[in-house]
Amino acid sequence: MVNMKKNKKMQAIWKARYIYILLAAYFVWLLIFHYGPMYGLLLAFKKYNAKLGIWGSEWVGLDNLKRIFVTPIAMKAIWNTLTISVRRIIFQFPFPIILAILITEMRGRRLKKVYQTIFTFPHFLSWVVVGAILTNFLSGSGTINMALANMGFEKINFLGNSKIFTSLLFVTANWKGMGWSAIVYMAAIAGIDPTLYDAARVDGASRWQQIWHITLAGIRATIAIMLILDIGGIMNAGFDQIFNMRNDVVNSSVTILDTYVYDITFGAVPNYGFSTAVGLFKSVIDFILLILANQISGRLSKGEHKLI
Amino acid sequence: MKKRKKKRYDSVDIVSFVCLTVFAILIVIPFWNAIVISFETESAYIRAPFSWLPGEFTLTNYEYMLEHAEGLITAYKNTIKIAVVGTVLGMSLMTAVAYCFSRKFPGKKVLFYIMLFTMFFGGGLVPKYLLIKNMGLLNTHAAIILMSLASVHNIIVMKNGFESIPNDLPEAAMIDGASDLVIFSKVMLPLQKPMIATFSLFHVVGAWNNWYWPTLILNSSDKAVLQVFLRTLLANAGGSAIAESSMGNLSDNIYSMGIQMAAVFIVMLPIMLVYPFLQKYFVKGVLVGSVKM
Repeated sequence: MVNMKKNKKMQAIWKARYIYILLAAYFVWLLIFHYGPMYGLLLAFKKYNAKLGIWGSEWVGLDNLKRIFVTPIAMKAIWNTLTISVRRIIFQFPFPIILAILITEMRGRRLKKVYQTIFTFPHFLSWVVVGAILTNFLSGSGTINMALANMGFEKINFLGNSKIFTSLLFVTANWKGMGWSAIVYMAAIAGIDPTLYDAARVDGASRWQQIWHITLAGIRATIAIMLILDIGGIMNAGFDQIFNMRNDVVNSSVTILDTYVYDITFGAVPNYGFSTAVGLFKSVIDFILLILANQISGRLSKGEHKLI
Repeated sequence: MKKRKKKRYDSVDIVSFVCLTVFAILIVIPFWNAIVISFETESAYIRAPFSWLPGEFTLTNYEYMLEHAEGLITAYKNTIKIAVVGTVLGMSLMTAVAYCFSRKFPGKKVLFYIMLFTMFFGGGLVPKYLLIKNMGLLNTHAAIILMSLASVHNIIVMKNGFESIPNDLPEAAMIDGASDLVIFSKVMLPLQKPMIATFSLFHVVGAWNNWYWPTLILNSSDKAVLQVFLRTLLANAGGSAIAESSMGNLSDNIYSMGIQMAAVFIVMLPIMLVYPFLQKYFVKGVLVGSVKM
């Protein structure tokens, strides 16, 4: 009996042999390029010595992790990561929803198409390009300030004043990304039963009332899911953008965990053990939040937005 | 019924039109401004930094880019090479894995979770950098291609795509004696051509815009890709990467604003040219991904 079961299993494996062959290359790659670096996380508990390698370096226990909590810049980076992320949710999250509603309500199919191409285009450029264009526009010697100066007004230090710069992070992220983020909501709006609108019109509801009671109500599940996924990503406060737009004057007020790890890794006195520890600290919290977010959004969407 | 033609514009029409027009203009202006600056002389730029058309039209910025910034042509070649090789290899790998996970086989669940885990957790900057260094891949294009070869998210979306094909089809082929290799390449792949085209596009754009690891790994100008080339030029010009403590200080710049903007324009031009025509494929791609993740 046991033998037969075993035989059956062997048969199933033999039948799927080409599947294993197709998968082999990918899993070798996964092992080297994704699980390999996870082995390197041992460094978080070591004092790195290039000659001795990762395994040979001296163990220091939890010293590196403990050091995070007594290093003021590290604590500042954690604080900035959280506060910038929360403000991103407040100042960025609602705009794609508004944009999606406005686009669906606007008349004129041709113009709509042109606008949508314009709105979604910046998403396809890197922050290196967008950072350069916006810096040119906003810097002290940039377009807006030169224009202000030529007209006899005082210049505004957009990029050198940390308060203005931080607010600009939200504005420029919206500028680049909200058109693209709106697509998900537009699809959700397109999925609303059109007879609901007809019924509301018969009942004498104005278009504003329809937007509020039918459109917004109809996409609230999508809104909830997107919000939860955003909260799940709270440890990522926008590395690409901040890295490409920051400067020495405002740096300390926009140092987030990711830029901090970069700075201490490639700085004057690199300490790989400590950098790895900061990275690990971030990854672990990130992992827990992402799993939670996925579980909740999976439950909300009845399995549609679920990975695990 | 003819009365409907005389539909009046109500407040929703007006508000949506005005808001969207303003937003569209706000997006276009910085781009337009950058392009205008790249086509005008430095003196015209300083006189009127914002003008709708170049104050004094010149091609010197572009001539300079072609003559002096030797890295540009090399960076273009390198980027195209990495984008093409990376996309062909990556798509072959990802479609194969996606097909496999759309089938039933022993050990599927375990392997799927091993893959999925990497989507939520990774080694981070230092371990990754040391891995590349220890493998002797620093300053090689192979490192860039290998690091961004496959994305778990795209594999899962493509897996869902393969699963949407009725199961009778592969089953019938199986009974006819076709192996998984044949079913994958002769039956399933041709049926999912649009999906594969969409994800190939995403992969190419991703390669075009890839800047972070190339900045860390590629440290000689003959290996640089476009984004690295642009970052270096901007940093040397005292642009985004360098402090702007003294305002309005133009004289220190090695590269004028015109040259910087010409570089920006040259890097984004290909995307600008193809995007309007390919937009609908991108939109389709993001919708497959979001509706059923």
